[in-house]
Amino acid sequence: MNMRNSFRILGGAAALGLALAQPAAAADTLKIGVPVGLSGANSVVAPSVVQAAELAVSEINAAGGVLGKQLELVVADDGSGAQGAQKAFDSLVFQKEVDVLISMETSAARNAGLPIVNRGKVPYIYTSFYEGRSCSPWMYVNAWVPEQQVAPIVDHFMTSEGAKSFYLIGSDYAFGRGMLEFTKKYIETQGGTVLGEEYLPMDGTDWTPIISKLKAANPDALITSTAGGAPNVTLTKQLRAAGVEIPYGNLAVDEGTARNMGADAAGIYISASYITGIASDENKKFLAAMEEHFGGDLKTPNDLSVPQYEAVYLYKAAVEKAGSAEPKKVIEALAEVSFKGPRGDISMSKQRHAPLTMYLAQVQPDGGIKLISSFDNVDPGEQCPNL
Amino acid sequence: MSGEAMTESKAAAGGAKPRAELGRVLRWGALAVALLIVAPFVLDTYTVNILIRALFLAALALTVDILWGYTGVLTFGQSAFFGIGAYACGLVFTHYGFGPGWAVLALAAGILAAMAVGLLVGWLAFYHGASPLYASIVTLALPIVLTQVVFAGGRFTGSSSGLSGFPTYYWDLEVWFWIAGAFLILVTCLAVLFVRSDMGRVLVAIRENEMRCAYLGIPVSRIKILLMVVMGGIGAVSGFGYAAFTNVVAPELTGFLLGTELLIWVALGGRGTIIGPVIGTIAIDVTSSYLSGSLPFVWKLLIGIAFVLVIVALPQGLLPELGKGLRRLLRRQPAAKPAPELRPARSRVVAAGAAAPLVVEGVARHFGSLRVLQDISFKVGRGELLSLVGPNGAGKTTLIRCLADGMERSGGRVVIFGKDLGRWPPDRCVALGIGRKFQAASIYETLTVAECLRLARYRLEPFSLWQASPILELPEAALRIVSETGLAERLDIEVRHLSHGQKQALDLAMVLALEPTIVLLDEPTAGLTKTERERIGGILTSLVERERLSVLLVEHDLDFVRQISSRVIVMHQGRIVLDGSVAEVVDSELVREIYAGSGHEPAPAGGTA
Amino acid sequence: MSVLILDIVTTAAILFTVATGLMIILGVMKLINFAHGAFLTIGGYAAYIATVAGWSPWAAIPFAAVVGLVLGLVVEYVIVRPLYARPLDAILATWGLGIIIGQLITIGFGREVQFVEPPISGAVEFLGLSYSTYRLLLVLVAVVIGAGLTGLLYFTRFGLNARAVIMNEDLARGLGIDSTKVRLATFGLGAALASVAGALITPLVSVDPNLGLPWLVNSFMLVLASGVSIPGLMIVSLLLGGAQVVVSTYVSPIIGGLTIVVLAALILRLRPQGIG
Repeated sequence: MNMRNSFRILGGAAALGLALAQPAAAADTLKIGVPVGLSGANSVVAPSVVQAAELAVSEINAAGGVLGKQLELVVADDGSGAQGAQKAFDSLVFQKEVDVLISMETSAARNAGLPIVNRGKVPYIYTSFYEGRSCSPWMYVNAWVPEQQVAPIVDHFMTSEGAKSFYLIGSDYAFGRGMLEFTKKYIETQGGTVLGEEYLPMDGTDWTPIISKLKAANPDALITSTAGGAPNVTLTKQLRAAGVEIPYGNLAVDEGTARNMGADAAGIYISASYITGIASDENKKFLAAMEEHFGGDLKTPNDLSVPQYEAVYLYKAAVEKAGSAEPKKVIEALAEVSFKGPRGDISMSKQRHAPLTMYLAQVQPDGGIKLISSFDNVDPGEQCPNL
Repeated sequence: MSGEAMTESKAAAGGAKPRAELGRVLRWGALAVALLIVAPFVLDTYTVNILIRALFLAALALTVDILWGYTGVLTFGQSAFFGIGAYACGLVFTHYGFGPGWAVLALAAGILAAMAVGLLVGWLAFYHGASPLYASIVTLALPIVLTQVVFAGGRFTGSSSGLSGFPTYYWDLEVWFWIAGAFLILVTCLAVLFVRSDMGRVLVAIRENEMRCAYLGIPVSRIKILLMVVMGGIGAVSGFGYAAFTNVVAPELTGFLLGTELLIWVALGGRGTIIGPVIGTIAIDVTSSYLSGSLPFVWKLLIGIAFVLVIVALPQGLLPELGKGLRRLLRRQPAAKPAPELRPARSRVVAAGAAAPLVVEGVARHFGSLRVLQDISFKVGRGELLSLVGPNGAGKTTLIRCLADGMERSGGRVVIFGKDLGRWPPDRCVALGIGRKFQAASIYETLTVAECLRLARYRLEPFSLWQASPILELPEAALRIVSETGLAERLDIEVRHLSHGQKQALDLAMVLALEPTIVLLDEPTAGLTKTERERIGGILTSLVERERLSVLLVEHDLDFVRQISSRVIVMHQGRIVLDGSVAEVVDSELVREIYAGSGHEPAPAGGTA
Repeated sequence: MSVLILDIVTTAAILFTVATGLMIILGVMKLINFAHGAFLTIGGYAAYIATVAGWSPWAAIPFAAVVGLVLGLVVEYVIVRPLYARPLDAILATWGLGIIIGQLITIGFGREVQFVEPPISGAVEFLGLSYSTYRLLLVLVAVVIGAGLTGLLYFTRFGLNARAVIMNEDLARGLGIDSTKVRLATFGLGAALASVAGALITPLVSVDPNLGLPWLVNSFMLVLASGVSIPGLMIVSLLLGGAQVVVSTYVSPIIGGLTIVVLAALILRLRPQGIG
């Protein structure tokens, strides 16, 4: 293949690239970028997150938009991982030139996207629960951190189930390790003991040796923090197949995934800032609106999708307070606004994080969730002391 | 000598070649650099962003093309070296320090680590006798092992999350674009020069017929290992740049999936073309980035389908097919390969020592309980033309194998000029002076006559890494064959266009170009016309008489044997039954019995076997 | 200690079951079928369809076999046959096929994890230990598959032809055996076995479009190390599977994931023809 023809082809490719390189047209809409795991570990919950965002946007637009401008959603696949997140964030920040990023992601994806957020200077509302202590001048978090989630489960196990010894199992990544590290410390401050702490890589599927170790150690209770989707499912299935029936607290499962696990999920304790059974008016209204909007395609709202809904409203509030969508002003305003959503009063007022009401619940054999107790206004602790 | 007249007319043409090639590459390189400088100001930010990543990946794909497209090593593992470079950057900048000194240190560490791993993998995968499948398996295991090692690193390597936000050079996009582009252009230019050089032809020869290369004295294992080390190093630089720009390292960069993606890009772009994979990678990666939002699954499906189609139906790849189509449209001929100038080689003096050229003692070969050779012992002196005859299944070819490959025999000794053959592989046997010609002409179909002849000179002449030498030196015997059979006019013709007789002649010329002291020939007259047979006979005779070589040939044509041999060994059922002069053997009762007994008639006078 | 032994035996049984389909294809056709993982996934989704259709979970297995068989026959005819002379390219083409199948499944069923009804769940008292019933059952299944295949190879006409082709295809053709038909049937059988294995492992894995991928490389390494023989595969599954369990338990599950690959590569370096 000689050089002349190859250079003709190179020239053609460059021309093609030029043709494709159309800058995003400026418009009088506000673009909300949603980088989310359409593929990969988060692909199970991503549809529910997108639906929550869609509902919020359509409600706000029907009511006249934000400062007279309509909201527009731009969704990008972050592959639930670092590489994909880079591409998604790049696309949203530099190609589509969104005004704000609102989404949930795995910690791997979030860590990879933050440098781009910092470079692009775009406000980013992170709507996923995570291991805590991720800070950026451009990021706010409206979901829970370990300080808020772990205590209810551990306290319940120690008091109502009389558990003194615990076993911890997780996926080997920032979230898994961060959550279990905190859990271990908390258990020990409460006087309990941790008999073992085991991890499998995020794409690992064979928990057999870990489960055998668990059974040998014979703990009173089990607490897990795996990546969403497949790892949750494989671990639970294999635990049940091995006949493990001790109290099982899962720090990272949502109602939808639990339902898909069928009978295996029965008995799992979850501690969340949202369950569909919350009895507030806002929640009832929200659920009805979701039902009406999506009908048969509805994906169960959960602890990862509802914060998304509320975050869109929080952004609206911040833009209205600041009087403009200018990033710096919006960032300042986000600390001061609040929104009463299905989870209650949400305000990201404590070091970029939000005090939340936490619910302890247990999965039922039919896949439903039974509320056990709730805790108001749980403080997120010292997440970003420098902001 | 007619050869000299030939060389004079080629003199003018030959000398200009390598400089013309270098000039051409430099010109295209300059054009690419010009495009590079202008591009960031013409394209929008997002495209530039994507392109920077694609440019680094294209350099990596280029290494895959050299290993797979040119050398035939199906490697899934280049992503591992990419990952090593990337993690060197991430780990050093995260945990140790940041600054120009640290950057140099990290880059060096990455390259050295990659090269060490490449050496290990090469040693494991490319031993003599390894099947290509095994090599692929090792390259498959490499990224998997590396990914798991990264996972096992816990907080240090970031495990599944990877490392991000570490300090790096936050230069403008244009600067990064120029860096990535300059790196790619440099590597591409060097690669193009390399694959068109003599050494590059060696790679193609290895891909086409590795065993033949060994018998030409080419140390195939060593070359492959070296290649893997160098490609590993380049891959690491590419990974380092990628990580420094993107500011994220994650296990996906070291993984098996990236390794297979590289193969897909190379296959679609056109394996064995250098430019094809570079363009293919850039085009596919950029398009993926644009389409990943709108049609992520359909796009991957299309790539999968294109890939399977290309592998099954268009193994050359898409770009070469496009190129061919374009050429047909423009009615241009593909560029002709230049023909070098033939020259006689300096005659090397064979040390006239006391040691006999070839001593065979008690050589045996068995496969389990099947004994193919037993107790073979004989000596060959200088200037002897020894024919091995015997019915089929007597073990003649096996014996030749045992003489040319130290690992073949099961027992006994083979000593050449006083040196024990031991367990040396074929390429080392060539170094001792053995030249073996196979029965079927096993030459490289896509190389030219000149390139094939040059390959035989590997052990004797330096092989350039960046140019195709304009001069081809051959010993007299080889020159004679080349000029007498008309190959001298066909130096730039590809082997697949030659006739059967010409291929056999070329094969013989290649063996003689090795300047062997002992020539082993397996049925050299098979399928030849009478004229061609006479010519071969004349050449062999002159080799023996003039240059005092030792020639051993396996033949069924007893007339031919009678005409040219000085000595005949008769084999039957794995043993030597007779060893003597032509007259002794031809008149022997035993021979008649053997041939009659196994259903073979001795050839009637004047006929062929 | 005994739990460890049960873990080893059950892991070996699962690995054996998953790898047999790949092995017979390699044995008869000298071809590495890199679409093996995709066929496992197809089996998993066949079980999902059985659940959705309300059939008994046991019915999923023959259903998966039929689906796998049909698909295997089509694939052999269209993709594998043209690549008979290019084995390395066949690896790539079947890998591409795996991508295509994965994407089609994603487009058809969605990316999420699907729920499949398991035939049995829970643990049972076995030799004084509480152990997963299903895993124990799989040991039985592996033995049945091994015995069935051996019977097929040694007591049927097809098996005789297949063994002839395994030993020397040219010679077999010379003797009048239609090796094309043997290859076609073998690929179909291999795909069917993979599909059945996929359906069998659904109670232990997440049923999503990537179900088969983690099993591909391990199966591939095991088959090569086994020297392409049924007893060889059993031995290698026990040895290497056992090593994996031991390393995972006593060193780390992450390094444990490596054991099969690394050990197989070393075995092949020392004994290129494999064990058995």
